[in-house]
Amino acid sequence: MSRYMVNKLMWEVDRSDDALASFKKDTAAFLDDWESLAERPVPPYPDGGHLTDGERAAVEARDYGALYAMGANPFLLWQFARSVSVPDEMGIDDLISSFRESAAPHGYPDFAT
Amino acid sequence: MAEIVGVIGVTHNPLMWASLRAGTPPDLADVAANFDRMQAHVAGLHPEVIVMVASDHFHMLMMANMPAFLIGKAPEMRAGHPNEQRAFGLETTMVAGDPELGAHLLGGADLANDFDFSFSDEPWLDHSFLVPLLFLTPGLDIPVVPVFSNCNAPPIPVAARFAALGTYLADAIASFPAARRVLVVGSGHLAHELGGPRQFLGESPDPDFDEKAVSWMARGDVEGAVASTSFLRLTEAGNESYQFLNFITCLAAGGGRPAVFAEGTPTRFGNLPFFSWEMT
Repeated sequence: MSRYMVNKLMWEVDRSDDALASFKKDTAAFLDDWESLAERPVPPYPDGGHLTDGERAAVEARDYGALYAMGANPFLLWQFARSVSVPDEMGIDDLISSFRESAAPHGYPDFAT
Repeated sequence: MAEIVGVIGVTHNPLMWASLRAGTPPDLADVAANFDRMQAHVAGLHPEVIVMVASDHFHMLMMANMPAFLIGKAPEMRAGHPNEQRAFGLETTMVAGDPELGAHLLGGADLANDFDFSFSDEPWLDHSFLVPLLFLTPGLDIPVVPVFSNCNAPPIPVAARFAALGTYLADAIASFPAARRVLVVGSGHLAHELGGPRQFLGESPDPDFDEKAVSWMARGDVEGAVASTSFLRLTEAGNESYQFLNFITCLAAGGGRPAVFAEGTPTRFGNLPFFSWEMT
């Protein structure tokens, strides 16, 4: 359930320029708003959701290795990491190498939802 | 009666589109040549519609509602999503559909076939469809019936279902009452990884898999392909390798005949698939 929610968050951040910009500007505020959206569901595909404390901490810290280890969908995770971190936090080459290093200790976690 | 005039399987790597549209970097000359070869081949076939098997990457479909197989039957469709434009320079455009053929592939008045397809009357194609179309038919002037397969959100259908899908599509196309020259296109990868420890290695994450995969296509070995592409084996090849399964659909749609062209073209993005089956 929660693995899905991490995927859903990454998906919602990456799919619109507005969401991405506000996530990058103030991640904590974005997540507060995202969690509150889940309390006002608009059918049939409600926005927002709930993360565990560990998931939220990993998202706020841009800890892609931790999200990978939790079983985040690798494709969604890579899109999310690139959109969030490049170019403001690091260049693409730095992200590629740091992502690889942070994922390597975890092998291939089950990412089925 | 409709007829399949050709079957093609190609890469849809969007970095290829980003890399090649402004000119050909020397190390991608073989890829550009293969796309040119395929484009000329397609033009010579004079297809009137393309039945295309590809896998949305969470642009249109998300895990809130994830169909295993879905057919689009809209008269026209959006193609290219805003985040693909941001990431790859892939501009949003429109592609014509073929609702009559789409409805026929679903089964007609009843959903009465061995495939309980989902359907969409407003599909929005992502790069898995658009990149091959831009390379094969740059004018985007041939209607498309999109067949979506879930290769990105486990559980993914087993390989035998992808083979059965190809056989089904071949039979269903043959039974379409109107005359149509149909090109079947599959979109996918060989060994490929994204978002994992082996991404962007500068070479294939599993050359041995690639060699076998190309040989299944070249030899027309449906059974060998199906027997060797479990979820776990594909994960060993790379955590984005599941879309190779779309080429098993192509192989079966071509009646299991050997591909006349089968290559995993070496690049810094891995070995990129190019397959072609001739039907005459």
